[in-house]
Amino acid sequence: MTKRVTKLLPVWIAVSAVILIAGIVLCALLGFNYAPELPKEKTFEVEYDVVVEIEDKRSDLKKICEDEFAARNLTVAEFHDIDEINPSTGSKTGNGKYVFSFDGSANDDALNTAKENVISAIKTQMPATAQISVSVHTATGESFAEPEWRAAVGIATAIVAVLIYVAIRFGVGSALTGLTVCVHDVVATLALFAIARIPVAYFAPMVIGGVAAFLSLLLWLVQCIKMRENFKEISFASYSAEEAVYESNKTAKKAVLGIAGAFAIAAVLLGVGLAVAGAPLGGWLLPVALVIPAGVSAYSSLVFGPALHVPVKACFDRFKSKKKRYIGKEKTEKAKEN
Amino acid sequence: MGKIKSAICITLFTLFIAALCFVCTVSFSYGENGMYAFNSILRMTAKDAELGGSYGAEGYLGGGYSVVYYPEGVISAKEYESNLGGIADEDDKAEYAEKYVADATKTLYFDKEKVCDGGNAPSESFKASFEKTSSLLKDRYSLLRKDGVQMKVADGYTVRVFLAKDVMDSELYAFTANSFTGKVTVRYGEADKPESAKTILPARADKPITDYLKKVSSRTAADGTAYVVLDFTSEGRKIIASETATANTMYFMVGENAVIPFKVTEAIDQSSLYLSGSYTAESAKVCATVMNSVLHDAQAEDLLTLTLADGYQHEALYGNNALTYLYIAFGVCFVGMAVFFLIRYRALAFAHIYTYLIFLIAMILCVWSIPFLYISVETFLAVALVSLLLGASNAYCFENAKKEYALGKTMTSSVKSGYKRSMLPLIDLHIVLAALSFIVYGIGLTNLSLFAFVLGLGTVFSCLCTIGLNRFMWAIMMAFTKNKGKFCNFKREEVEEDD
Repeated sequence: MTKRVTKLLPVWIAVSAVILIAGIVLCALLGFNYAPELPKEKTFEVEYDVVVEIEDKRSDLKKICEDEFAARNLTVAEFHDIDEINPSTGSKTGNGKYVFSFDGSANDDALNTAKENVISAIKTQMPATAQISVSVHTATGESFAEPEWRAAVGIATAIVAVLIYVAIRFGVGSALTGLTVCVHDVVATLALFAIARIPVAYFAPMVIGGVAAFLSLLLWLVQCIKMRENFKEISFASYSAEEAVYESNKTAKKAVLGIAGAFAIAAVLLGVGLAVAGAPLGGWLLPVALVIPAGVSAYSSLVFGPALHVPVKACFDRFKSKKKRYIGKEKTEKAKEN
Repeated sequence: MGKIKSAICITLFTLFIAALCFVCTVSFSYGENGMYAFNSILRMTAKDAELGGSYGAEGYLGGGYSVVYYPEGVISAKEYESNLGGIADEDDKAEYAEKYVADATKTLYFDKEKVCDGGNAPSESFKASFEKTSSLLKDRYSLLRKDGVQMKVADGYTVRVFLAKDVMDSELYAFTANSFTGKVTVRYGEADKPESAKTILPARADKPITDYLKKVSSRTAADGTAYVVLDFTSEGRKIIASETATANTMYFMVGENAVIPFKVTEAIDQSSLYLSGSYTAESAKVCATVMNSVLHDAQAEDLLTLTLADGYQHEALYGNNALTYLYIAFGVCFVGMAVFFLIRYRALAFAHIYTYLIFLIAMILCVWSIPFLYISVETFLAVALVSLLLGASNAYCFENAKKEYALGKTMTSSVKSGYKRSMLPLIDLHIVLAALSFIVYGIGLTNLSLFAFVLGLGTVFSCLCTIGLNRFMWAIMMAFTKNKGKFCNFKREEVEEDD
């Protein structure tokens, strides 16, 4: 016999615990995969000072470099053709630079050999008067901590504030479950990003956390609204906490899956749009990867949240029924006195 | 609502939406040889540097600026070779070559005296000073709190900084001002000669500048005028008052750089000095940050002098067509949503589509008109989320009305009951999501605050559109049909008759 999702809380806790623990450990040890930002990069830069001299041969210059990289098995992560400016005035000088970026693990010897060979090729294939210089650089990126900790504080404060409202409108039980579910969704989403080593830009974890919190609350509120509607019905009065949550969950399923699915489709389409435009990996993968918070929020709203809400509701129901009996006695005593 | 009134309303709404859609999306040139241009709202909206796309008449295509900070005594191989090539005399050439030593990869050249203490590698004291200077730069750029700021330490002893184009209005000033290092002093003397001006603060060599100048901050008045505010201690105020008795020029210096020069025409006797001039809110903030970052540092003289060089302009990281493809992706999502509503609710879908278009136009106008908002991937994501919220809310109202209609009520009664049932849950939903968004906006920075603000704004619009506009649209569109159930694809519940 298949067990109902609301009866399998230990299973869901175990699944979530594995993801959360693995994600937190990986995140602590390795952090997120910031590969698109090239946190440590090596660049091969070709500066050309007299643009007029080589105007017709610029594509040749680029090809010389690319052929050399291909010969040394060096994979170019990014390429930029940039214009020199006066840093004080912003006016263009007419000079330019080709910047070939490589991952930090690119072989130094190969890059330096490529540099020597490119310099030799320039001497033979480019005009003698053209001023072209070639250099290899190693750079380490710096991340700014303030946006990250403020994002964490902001999302945490917002979740708590919002759940106070949920407690007033839908009951303390729903708020407690919502708080657990929301925190679970944000952390589980970030954990999955860390586990799967999905390449992200420095700012991405903040936005992903924000999206996860928004979707999680949205879908849990759909559940809360459905539960409030359903629990008013007479047919639900005879149900146990588990049966009531299970039956209500069935009615919310369509809406939750519809919202999560529609968001996932929209996110994928935005990502595909960026990929087609030629955006780098970190650019188009972020929208596509937002399928993860959509999936996690749907899982929490339909499986983990309802299962967790059963004992919470049972506890609050017991508390309510105790309160009811007390009022009943009081009324009886009053009737006797009259 | 009567048929005539409904027809007028629908016509007006259709014209209104069509006109706004045109204004928001269509750009064209006109006049002789396309001399004049009509720019759409979307074209005039500020855009993320990564996305590219056209922006106003200037044809902005995203990207940004990068510069390299070289510490004193460190030069690039290119500069070294250029300098060496420029020396004709062989002895001078040899002397110059002897003065410098290259790093292992021959990327940078170090002045042996200034950097290596006479040796062949950077000294420990230079390394410590560079560490401190790069940390100062990091603090200054972090305090800009702008999207897209990138900082990298390159080749061990230079700092590369990238600032996104148009996200700031004074990127180049930030590059220059942030290169100023050294102690804060106040000098007083002839115009345009800060180097020969008399140092008036600190008045005594054994006292720090903080005994005279408490802090530097920036403010923007209600009329938009930006100020750099200098707060003096009582001792500092006295000295300034006595020194400025004669008209001259006052310089607020960081190291040997005059960060704020201003002409004094009468004695200054104030505890707070407000300086405006040509500052924008942003440049005033940069100026205050630069001064504050070294004001309280007693060891500011240990900082290295920085030279700004190698400025480059970069193109949009995501490609110049990224925005176009994002619009297409968004259009596909819109068509998908419209098809879903048309299949499920037939003609009633038009009520939702009209509501959604007005909502979308309102969002576009807000992103265009609110100064700190701009089009970016985060903006698209936020609009996608609130579009989903609006779609779900409208569908929820339709479903509730459908249920009421199925029970045998009239359409008017069903709509009324359906909305009554939907009202509270929808208000709850929107309040919760708007509160979440605005709190995150209040605390978060850069991309997240942009995302959260658009989300919050969209949630508010979604609430207004669902509860108010959508119901009105439904009422005016349904006025023309006799078979209202068929119009909305609503069906009565079939009741089995007893034999």
